[in-house]
Amino acid sequence: MILLESILDGIRDIKDHFGRTMLQLVGIILGAGSIVATFSLSVAGKAASMEYYRVSGGIQKIWIWDKPTGKVTLDARALASKGLTYKDAVAIKRDTREIDLVSPVAQESMTIRYREIEKPHDVMGIVPAYSPMNDVHAAKGRFITDGDVQTAAKVVVFGSERAAEFFSTDNPIGKTVTINGTGYQVVGVMQEKYFSFDHKRNVLRWMNRQVYIPITTYFTRKGQTLETGKVNFMNARMVDIKNHEAAVDEIRKVLHRQHGVKDYEVMSRVANLKRNEANNKMYDMTFMICGIISLIVGGIVVMNIQLASFNERVREVGTRKAVGASPAQIFGQFLAESVIVSVFGGFLGLFVGKLFTDGISALTRDVAMITPDTIVKALIFAAGTGLIFGMYPAIRASRLSPIEALRTE
Amino acid sequence: MSALPEYIEEPVTAKALIQLEEVSKTYDAGENAVQALRGVEVAIQEGEFVAIIGPSGSGKSTLMHILGCLDSPTSGKYWLDGQDVAELTARQLARIRNQKIGFVFQTFNLLPRATVLKNVELPLLYAGLSRGERRERAMSALERVGLGNRAKHRPNELSGGQRQRVAIARALVNNPSLILADEPTGNLDQKTGSEIIDIFQGLSGAETIVLVTHDPMIAARTQRRIKIVDGRIVDGELE
Repeated sequence: MILLESILDGIRDIKDHFGRTMLQLVGIILGAGSIVATFSLSVAGKAASMEYYRVSGGIQKIWIWDKPTGKVTLDARALASKGLTYKDAVAIKRDTREIDLVSPVAQESMTIRYREIEKPHDVMGIVPAYSPMNDVHAAKGRFITDGDVQTAAKVVVFGSERAAEFFSTDNPIGKTVTINGTGYQVVGVMQEKYFSFDHKRNVLRWMNRQVYIPITTYFTRKGQTLETGKVNFMNARMVDIKNHEAAVDEIRKVLHRQHGVKDYEVMSRVANLKRNEANNKMYDMTFMICGIISLIVGGIVVMNIQLASFNERVREVGTRKAVGASPAQIFGQFLAESVIVSVFGGFLGLFVGKLFTDGISALTRDVAMITPDTIVKALIFAAGTGLIFGMYPAIRASRLSPIEALRTE
Repeated sequence: MSALPEYIEEPVTAKALIQLEEVSKTYDAGENAVQALRGVEVAIQEGEFVAIIGPSGSGKSTLMHILGCLDSPTSGKYWLDGQDVAELTARQLARIRNQKIGFVFQTFNLLPRATVLKNVELPLLYAGLSRGERRERAMSALERVGLGNRAKHRPNELSGGQRQRVAIARALVNNPSLILADEPTGNLDQKTGSEIIDIFQGLSGAETIVLVTHDPMIAARTQRRIKIVDGRIVDGELE
């Protein structure tokens, strides 16, 4: 009953001293806002990167490059190294237990012509494993098959954007294009791939701009064989993400045996994800600490204003005591007021948090997602601040002697 | 047949509504202790309308605080409605003030932001009454002081005399044993002050009213005057 009255009093107080209340609440609004932003970005960031990994082949995917990245100086043998070859891919598939799929890719810019349209574009020599590896599938016709690879067939599959570029609205299947002067029959067009972190930029657009031919055909054009064929990179798929380190180790061992030097780089998405998570934790912590500091500062302001308003209201407290308010009732009333004011601040903080979140995601192109969970957390933090910092003014008010209070002018 | 007790304890003498026995109050003001009350003996019967008069510094405020359970005596006993309230805790005193005492102050002490009705309801709020009951009793108290039509107004929309009538309604609302008025006409012009005393006179008999004043004209309108000088009662007889 008294609690309800105190809550109504608190709301009336916000209304009567709107400007002062806003000032009082700046800290809490910013604090709750930071907390909302932290959780929104963090939760959404995790969800988005998992989704990105899922639609682009899953976290079981491993990348293998033919050059060491980083600042290692290449020695003479490494410079003389032939780089990654098709044979390496075969060896990895054959000699590992944690890898169930290997997809070598040879890539080069070639001139593609269909009727009057002639353009230089990257062309990929691939094997059928490329499709499950990257979760890309034919929308029309078919993808490159084992038969195509065995016979080094002059067939080509277009990514959706390339198909539109050359064929516009025509059906490309069965048409003939020339690539570097040789005729190829179009056997398939891929499904469009789309994923965006910011609902603006399609980060998988590069997949729609591919042109695929069988890897053997690619080698033949370049005067290479399956024995000598060079590849630009490979993807491998691990059987079990729990053994991701073992899988990467197996690949490294095979490549080291094949090359004798470390002229390759192997990176698993699982390891990458773990590293990102560690980074994100740091980022989350920083923002969270900002939020908590704002709340503490906000809490101190709330305490100050409550003390000031208490000085203004000494007579009121005296009157309430004279008509029979017990110390506990006065304590409850003051505490309820600071909690109400703080929760109100937390509520406004949700909107500020939304602005923060939108601002940050616009700047960094990160995704954000404000979940009910986050809203509850921010409001609890705000209420807690009011509770803690409202304690001292409430105790002072409850201990006030009614005689002293009534004497005050 | 149950056996009668061999002797009967001396029956508790029927006490007056208010009975102060040997009440003293000493304030520790640093080095020199101030004796505000020195062995005060007062009895006030139910339904009496009494004035406490005395010059400033005489101890009448202290007496009023003790009567109102805002303060406790240093020594002595204070029986209010048959209960010794001299040694109660702050919480128990709050309860006594809530249930048995109604205050009327010189400066009205209404909550400026609350409506007249809310102000009158205040003691009932702390008594834990339901909303409906609070409203009903507050309205009937307001009607007793002739302000039933002002319930939704704020104190600053009322005249001084009306405000004091609201304060009287607030003092009446919990059916107290005692109404304590501390210079209730001090902030009012003579005519309005006189009207307030009319209200108290109208209530006397049904209510027990103790009025603290320095104004002999006001005091003359009560049934009995208790004069206090230098912490002692010098004249407490019925007229």
